[in-house]
Amino acid sequence: MRVRNNLNYTHTLFILLGGVILLFLIAPLAGMFLSVKAPELFATLGDREVSESIFRTLAISALATGIAAIFALPLSYILARKKFPLKGLLEAIIDLPVMIPHSAAGIALLGFISRDSTLGSLASSFGLNLVGSNVAIAMAMAFVSLPFLINSAKDGFAAVPVRLEQAAETLGASKFRVFTQISLPLAKRSVVSGLLLMFARGMSEFGAVVIVAYHPMTTPVLIFDRFNSFGLSYARPVAVIFVAVTLILFILLRIYQKRKC
Amino acid sequence: MLKIENIVYSIGDFNLGPVSFTMEKGDYLAVFGPSGAGKSLLLELIAGLRFPASGSVCIDSKEYVNIGAQNRPVGMLFQDYALFPHLSVFDNIAYSLRLKKTNRDTIEKRVKELSDYFSIGNLLKRDIEGLSGGEKQRVALARAIAYDPLILLLDEPLSALDDDLRAEAVDTLASLKRAGQTIIHVTHNRNEVGTLASKNLYMSGGKIK
Repeated sequence: MRVRNNLNYTHTLFILLGGVILLFLIAPLAGMFLSVKAPELFATLGDREVSESIFRTLAISALATGIAAIFALPLSYILARKKFPLKGLLEAIIDLPVMIPHSAAGIALLGFISRDSTLGSLASSFGLNLVGSNVAIAMAMAFVSLPFLINSAKDGFAAVPVRLEQAAETLGASKFRVFTQISLPLAKRSVVSGLLLMFARGMSEFGAVVIVAYHPMTTPVLIFDRFNSFGLSYARPVAVIFVAVTLILFILLRIYQKRKC
Repeated sequence: MLKIENIVYSIGDFNLGPVSFTMEKGDYLAVFGPSGAGKSLLLELIAGLRFPASGSVCIDSKEYVNIGAQNRPVGMLFQDYALFPHLSVFDNIAYSLRLKKTNRDTIEKRVKELSDYFSIGNLLKRDIEGLSGGEKQRVALARAIAYDPLILLLDEPLSALDDDLRAEAVDTLASLKRAGQTIIHVTHNRNEVGTLASKNLYMSGGKIK
């Protein structure tokens, strides 16, 4: 009985402490949603600049995720399956974009794609200026969000028993078919979770994107621009709409992950 | 049929070989010995899942030592059966046939033939999850021989089964032997292959004794 009471006190304390965190997470967002009036919201929804920036942000993030996945999934598979020298260092490098300030990531990328760089001058020779382009936005989004995809997919591939891959090989499957027909379908949920996380993280990126491309404006940059130029009340409806889109995506992700369990 | 000559393989501190033996078509070779003797490693070397540092793996007079599992005429039944959980029983059995681009009618005919043979016709639409140990073993056997491999490797095929199912599984293996299938059966329990084996090898510490 005494133990049970102790447990109850502990749990009550934990719930109270956890409640503070939940309040901390919910209150600013709820306050933002409640402070926007319906006419402002509808006017902003009808604002072409806003709708175009949301479409641009979602489309570029989706494209960046799709293209990056072609390169990231094989890397995740190798990391899950192979042991090699300096693997720990490689994994630390992959996690680096999560840890460094995203403005610093933007500065690094700017140096990588500016006209003075090899890549930038190569693009220039084809008449392309990478800085301030959709390509630069995609690169900035991918740079900061790739660790989410790589790590999630790596965990998924590592959870696939090697025996199943070996069984497929003895049945005549090439290594590539083993990957596409056995490993990838069995790691599907982790891979899809990683893709959604990368997409969601990419579309909400501001720090790196604003440095490589202020224009064309993604929604996070547009929110900053409106706040900087016109103030809070002008930026808030855009933020509400964009946060709503992000929330819907995360709710879908949660439903998907719940179905997994 | 199968000629293994002086194969040597090392992993960590464990050294296998040199191992040599031969088999004729239709032989049922039992390889037994204690856990950690290198029996499963030997099967993986024959299957092409690992490659020996030296030696020869000859099947029907053709050298396979540097050829991967994908292109060896060898089927393998894994200890845990290694059935694909995202595929139905039918798709598991048909897997190798689809890889070889066999036409749909032939696949259906072959799967039906095997499912009748192993008495699993009623399971074909089922998922792997939920099958009993005995059912899984029969599905895995059907899958392993679907494309008519010259040699069937069995890695502790009875160890995951309880006593009731074990007798039934031994009957299944005996019928494969009667059908002329060349089999290598690895086990730590000599008694389970007593009536099945036409040849025996004892392995310990990576060597045939």
